[in-house]
Amino acid sequence: MGFVPFTWPFTPALSPLLRRGAREKNFIFMKVQVKNLRKEFGKTVAVDNISFSFDSGHVFGFVGPNGAGKTTTMRIISTIEEPTSGDVMLNGISICEEPELARRVVGYVPDTLPAHADITVHEYLDFYARAYGLRGKKRTQAVEAIEEFTNVIGIREKHLKALSKGMKQRVSLGRALVYDPDVLVLDEPAAGLDPRARVELRELLMLLAERKKAILISSHILTELTEICNGVVIIERGKILETGTIDDVLKKSAPRRTVAVRLLDGHHHQNPQLLKELLQTPHVENARDVANEIHFELSGDESAACDILGGLISKKFKVIEFRQTKTNLEDIFMNVTKGGVQ
Amino acid sequence: MTATFSKLKTHFTNWREWELNPIVIKELRQAVRSWAVTGMLLLFLTVLFITSLTFLVTQSFQVEANLQLGGAMFSAFMVILAGASVFFIPLYVGVRVAAERQENNPDLLYVSTLSPACIIRGKFLCGAYMALLFFSACMPFMAFTNLLRGVDLPTVFFILFYLFLVVCAANMIAIFFACLPMSRPFKILLVIYGLFQSFALLVPLVRVSFQLMSSGVGAMMSGRNFWVGTLTFVGIGMAITGLFFVLSVALISPPSANRALPVRIYLTAIWLLGGLLSFSWVVQTGMAPWMLAWTYPTFALMMFALLVTVSNSDQISLRVRRTIPKSGLKRALAFVLFNGAAGGLVWVATILVATFFLTWQILLAFPKSMIDSSASNWFVTTTAYAFAYALTALFIHRKFLSKRPPKLAGVIAVLLAGAWAIVPSIVLFFLNQLSWKSVEGLQLGNVFNVFSLRDDDQRLYHLYFAFGWLLLMILINAKWFVRQVKNFQPLNRTQSPPVINEISPAA
Repeated sequence: MGFVPFTWPFTPALSPLLRRGAREKNFIFMKVQVKNLRKEFGKTVAVDNISFSFDSGHVFGFVGPNGAGKTTTMRIISTIEEPTSGDVMLNGISICEEPELARRVVGYVPDTLPAHADITVHEYLDFYARAYGLRGKKRTQAVEAIEEFTNVIGIREKHLKALSKGMKQRVSLGRALVYDPDVLVLDEPAAGLDPRARVELRELLMLLAERKKAILISSHILTELTEICNGVVIIERGKILETGTIDDVLKKSAPRRTVAVRLLDGHHHQNPQLLKELLQTPHVENARDVANEIHFELSGDESAACDILGGLISKKFKVIEFRQTKTNLEDIFMNVTKGGVQ
Repeated sequence: MTATFSKLKTHFTNWREWELNPIVIKELRQAVRSWAVTGMLLLFLTVLFITSLTFLVTQSFQVEANLQLGGAMFSAFMVILAGASVFFIPLYVGVRVAAERQENNPDLLYVSTLSPACIIRGKFLCGAYMALLFFSACMPFMAFTNLLRGVDLPTVFFILFYLFLVVCAANMIAIFFACLPMSRPFKILLVIYGLFQSFALLVPLVRVSFQLMSSGVGAMMSGRNFWVGTLTFVGIGMAITGLFFVLSVALISPPSANRALPVRIYLTAIWLLGGLLSFSWVVQTGMAPWMLAWTYPTFALMMFALLVTVSNSDQISLRVRRTIPKSGLKRALAFVLFNGAAGGLVWVATILVATFFLTWQILLAFPKSMIDSSASNWFVTTTAYAFAYALTALFIHRKFLSKRPPKLAGVIAVLLAGAWAIVPSIVLFFLNQLSWKSVEGLQLGNVFNVFSLRDDDQRLYHLYFAFGWLLLMILINAKWFVRQVKNFQPLNRTQSPPVINEISPAA
């Protein structure tokens, strides 16, 4: 996707109420607070009293197995569903009390793709620009800019129904961005995209975060979320299991770091000796030989790791690699969730 | 008032920035690309062309001049236009609304900043523009008939205007049906039913057009009765269109919105206007039964309104509570007009009692009018039964099915009336050796039995029974009603919403 730097042509004419967030250059600082949200469908509790918050410039990952309540929560934040109890505040504006006002600042990309008949990409985006109150030249500029931003210029005269899934996903994102919302809620935007499109989407989201959008994104591709998200909420059966910044969640869920040590080729005969040495070292546990590498769990902090490395070198071990193997979001997800649905 | 005036002033001074309803633009763009519309228009033009050619070629074989050729051709064009516009346009508009309005996947245009009224207006206007397209395609053919003999130009334009109004009303009804929260199979059944109804509408429509043609509108235009009749027709057409408009808007509004308010205000307004219109007819003609032209439709409408009212939730959403007035008098009015079953019952009861009282007084004031006491008995008994069923349904829902959706109360009310009419009849049929004779006798509690009875005493028993039952239900539901009145309070914030000013580290 070719990213063209452009100035956003439109700022929605919001009431002063919405403008009470602090103004920072070309954006409004938004704080999204999900408060004790609960949604029942008959006897099924889809979302069970969840609370979290995220704000401008943050990409917040929303992770959970199928049926965990992610889509319902996102639909509530986007004012499509109404909560049974609880509320979502956008800079203090309640989505329950003032959904029309809240709707102006939230852009929602649903997990379903646009399927309007007999309409081209350009007309579709133009319609939503009109629907959100953009008039005249401002609208033309906004639509053109967004077509460029989402790289759909080449397909702007194509019918929506004739597009591939990836293209429809871009159009859907363009639709959500066309009126320049301050909060973006993206439900599985990477689902069904090819690897290139995923990378492009990731770059696009990072660019949007730089533009100080508050972004909530759900995805099953957790490795990608680890790279772009500042924070994460892990949800299962409508309840939050973990929440916080990515680093906090990683630390919390994996308090011990795994370290791998590799000796210079031709010195692997020293491995048993190294293993023995490590097992006698404080803070080291569960040391084992894994394919010519020694892996061990370190219960101490980074200075403890530094001391161990210094000790090994002083004892003439030919260490060529001493690295910490990272625990990723996928590992944590697998650890904390049980795969249950409501 | 000043704010509204200044808003209007700004609106009109910025006329250069006026733009069409976004929905109209989108719908018309889609219509232009749609094979259905293009195909139908081409077919329509072909049929018109072949029809006119057939008429002219047939005429060329006749020796004598046909003085009614223009009229005959116009009639044929009228039938073709009526068929195309009454069947196709409402069907197209309805299907388009239904396709975008699915229960499991609501289209995002319904959650944009466009108001529900703007969306419905856009859909309706799209239908009107399409009707104009078909009418303008037909216009040259129809105007041509005026060059032949048998039809005058005012008749051509008047019939087109009259047909256009009918198409607009049919469009609005189609939009309303498309907005109903039903699954696709039910909607398909509705489409089939709608097509049959369109056909039923087409026959009287064509008949009236033929009558107008034979009389000639030009000749009737100087008469007062013609204009009174025309204005009444236009008024009724607009009232029906408006009613389905507000109902459609209510249907697509979110459940937490004040859906009842515009509907109740609109119904109250047309009830008042209709009453005034009927009364003016009574005064002009000196015939009091003109009042009944207002009383019976009001009664029918209020019976539907009662069903919808009992299906309202007791919980008032935050959005609605935010708009409840603080002043006592305004709040009392809001209680009657806002969402909620309790207020709705008061509203229906007020309108029915006022209708009955006014009709009765006017009938009494005109001694020449024949007052049928059995009709008044029937009216009062049926009303009392309807309220008794409704209150019983509310009680059953509240006590035994409180976790189920509130619309179940309306279903219970219908089932109650139906079961009370059918079950005793079937039992009596078997008890009386497969004879229906006993069914024709007195069956207290069965509202339909009121219509079949001929004995005045038995009708009176029904009246007493209905009022007894109603009184009992009022007592049973009194506590709930008082609670609803007490709960109808404006939102009282303990603290104002937080003002977020801090910038996060990431920002």
